[in-house]
Amino acid sequence: MPVLDVRNLVLWYRTRKGPVHAVDDISFALEPGQTIALVGESGSGKTSTANAILRLLPKNVSRFEGEVRFDGQDVMEYDDETFRKTVRWRGISMVFQGAMNALNPTIRVGAQVAEPLMVHYDVDREEAADQAVEALRKVGLSADIVRRYPHELSGGMKQRVIIAMSLILKPKVVILDEPTSALDVMTQTNIINLLKDLKNAEGLSYIFITHDLGLASELADLVGIVYAGQLVEVGPSEGVFVRPKHPYTGKLLASVPRLRSEEAPDFIPGAPPDLTDPPPGCRFHLRCPVSFEKCGWSAAEFVEQVRLLQIAEETKNKLPAIAEMTVKGDLNLLIKPQPNGTAADFAERLNSLIAGNKEVYRFLKSVESVHPRTKSVEVKLHEGTPPPLFGEEWKASCWLLAGGGA
Amino acid sequence: MLGFLILVALLVPLFAPYSVVQAWNDPSAWTNNPKLAAPEWSEIFAGKKLPRTILLPYNGETGGFTKARVVVDEAGQTYVTVVLRSSFSFQADAFPSEIALYMTTVFGNQSGTQIRMFWDRPDGEEINLFDATPTVRAPFENTFSLTTPAIKGDPAYSVYANIRNWLIRKNITTQTEWDQLYPSRGGIYDSPPKAEVLLMAQLNHNMLDPYSAQVLKGTYAFRIEFQGFARTDDANARAVIYGRVYGIAGTDGSRRDLLVALLWGAPVALAFGLAGALASVLIQTILGAISGWYGGVIDEFLQRAADFYLIIPTLPILILLGILYRPSIYGILFVLVIFGLVGATTKVVRSIVLSVKEEQFIEAAKSYGASRGRILFRYILPRVMPYTFALIALNVPAFIFLEASLSFLGLGDPQLPTWGHIIGDAYSNDALFASRAFPSGLWWWVSFPAAGIIFTTVAFALLGYAFDKVLNPRLREQ
Repeated sequence: MPVLDVRNLVLWYRTRKGPVHAVDDISFALEPGQTIALVGESGSGKTSTANAILRLLPKNVSRFEGEVRFDGQDVMEYDDETFRKTVRWRGISMVFQGAMNALNPTIRVGAQVAEPLMVHYDVDREEAADQAVEALRKVGLSADIVRRYPHELSGGMKQRVIIAMSLILKPKVVILDEPTSALDVMTQTNIINLLKDLKNAEGLSYIFITHDLGLASELADLVGIVYAGQLVEVGPSEGVFVRPKHPYTGKLLASVPRLRSEEAPDFIPGAPPDLTDPPPGCRFHLRCPVSFEKCGWSAAEFVEQVRLLQIAEETKNKLPAIAEMTVKGDLNLLIKPQPNGTAADFAERLNSLIAGNKEVYRFLKSVESVHPRTKSVEVKLHEGTPPPLFGEEWKASCWLLAGGGA
Repeated sequence: MLGFLILVALLVPLFAPYSVVQAWNDPSAWTNNPKLAAPEWSEIFAGKKLPRTILLPYNGETGGFTKARVVVDEAGQTYVTVVLRSSFSFQADAFPSEIALYMTTVFGNQSGTQIRMFWDRPDGEEINLFDATPTVRAPFENTFSLTTPAIKGDPAYSVYANIRNWLIRKNITTQTEWDQLYPSRGGIYDSPPKAEVLLMAQLNHNMLDPYSAQVLKGTYAFRIEFQGFARTDDANARAVIYGRVYGIAGTDGSRRDLLVALLWGAPVALAFGLAGALASVLIQTILGAISGWYGGVIDEFLQRAADFYLIIPTLPILILLGILYRPSIYGILFVLVIFGLVGATTKVVRSIVLSVKEEQFIEAAKSYGASRGRILFRYILPRVMPYTFALIALNVPAFIFLEASLSFLGLGDPQLPTWGHIIGDAYSNDALFASRAFPSGLWWWVSFPAAGIIFTTVAFALLGYAFDKVLNPRLREQ
């Protein structure tokens, strides 16, 4: 039985522009002793996922639902007080992003490490202090630092203190939210080795949130690739990192710079989508090098892409002269040619443009049909839907995998 | 500076015990001091030797009056004669401010009991200053002011007539000139002659003008003859020749030693300022932190309450309460704290808390399940405390000033001699106006307590700035 089973987790934030779909239907399961790495760009919803699991929510939550099964119990059913007393830190603890700031600057390290104990159990000061020393020894710190204040410690020491604090109540699951992001590479390696040792010694399960693919492959058994609030690929790390199924995973792996490599690192064009208004269909289709008609282009996106072609130097002469483009619904649009050309002529030029360039400009693949009307050309697009997770050994949400292809 | 103040505050009780302060408003405790005397060291600036107060104590005390008592029985009548004498050497360059004689008398019911008082001058002159009948029995004192008798009915009022007769007899003046110099109606002078000048000046025409009269230095003597008619009748006397300078800080219009009040002002101001600032700033800090941390309705309520408190004019309310109830210094402190439950500090602390509560270690505390109260007291308040200390230091002067202004208006604690109280007294006695007798005004009465207030407030302001430097490391560099 998985120690943590997250099903259809949704977390939206309310903003003036509308809800931000920070976590949009994320599911994964974690067996005891396993580590799952959640990998993705900044703002993709990794930390929100962690916060949603621990229910550390800001005030502006507009939608928060799904199931979080911890040890078989759906802890989403618990009220806040029960959750605080039974789940937080006792069941699931967390190592915060930016260890520098996660320690109370006015409390000595020993008291800080013992703080969760004092909060959750009725232990006296001395016993708490003893346990704090014990916990600090486990993470490789000497007992004499209990009298120090956080500002007297180095970054790596602080990170170890935070880890000691997260382990002091002996939780089953530890969420590591970019535990090494502010540390130098040598210290990173030390911390990762420490985390591995602790995992083996204590039988911990980790949720390891990072954007560093190298560290993820080092520590994780499972990898979940997060894009725009969704898991686009989840599977064993040896599989996902070696033979990525989802085009986004592939691009992400290719973007990692390598030492002593002739190849320049690849990059993904465009920017992550605005999560207040996520793209229809597959959320990656706008930046995807292999997108096609099923990926879910909308008429508005089509118009936007045509405009980009109009201004780009290498394409602006290929396009027939367009006077006006009007969006008619999600999948239909009207293109009005310049007065010097007829509609039929324009439709023919458009069709030939599509036929000649659709492998380069993938959005052209979404055109289902072009109908000349009296003064304009009606363009109809293929309908697309969000892809479900496909796959046997591990899963990825891409239509290319629908027929076992790619 | 603060260290000096605290030292003063701690040592004052050794110099002047609290009983001295309790006697502050009791005039009888201060009768031996001159009125409106400048500090002794001010004669350095005057350039001449100013008279100190000379005490001639009762017979029986060292240096006191000598007494000779004779009882004669004659034809069934008892005659008791007491002769009291005392002399003093006067070497100052200015006249004393007053001369007063105090007598205790024991006498029967028979009328005719009489006191005759003679004044012997170094030039051999003797003047019978007054003849009087004692009115008060021992142990209380008959008071005879030789220089400023209270009313015409006062036996000492005849001093003027006796001096006039003496001067006419000596051909120093004439009745006509005397009447021109000191016009009187019905025997009451519009502006009486200065007896202390006439009694102690060199015998020439200049002595009629107190500002050009020269002091006759030498040995003066009192001679008092008491005549009684009962076997038990007796008399004793003491005299005070009041000087023009006194002590380190001078005296006020009620003869009180200002040094006592000045020194006692330090612990009172420190205690009042610190207690007020500590109580109100700490309460405001905690309420401000609660406001920022819990937010919502509590925040709204506390902030609106703070707005309301900020527009309440505290001083007028205190003046009103002062007029209605004459509160003690504890009462004033209580009212100030009540009117300072919420206020500017609440708002400052709330804004600090709003930024502190977004910090990661607060989120960490939430995540390991610390309760809201625990986070407030263990995480947020310690972060706010350094600012609070600076605010306390900067608030102390405000409280000292408030107490001083209330006391100045005469609405402070009526019992305690605070600095503001002294300045208020000085102001109501026109201490700031120069007169012919006091060309620089009564400067010592105003400037020392004012200096005390300034010294204390500056000390706390500097302490506040020091805190500021600790809290704003950018200032430390310069």
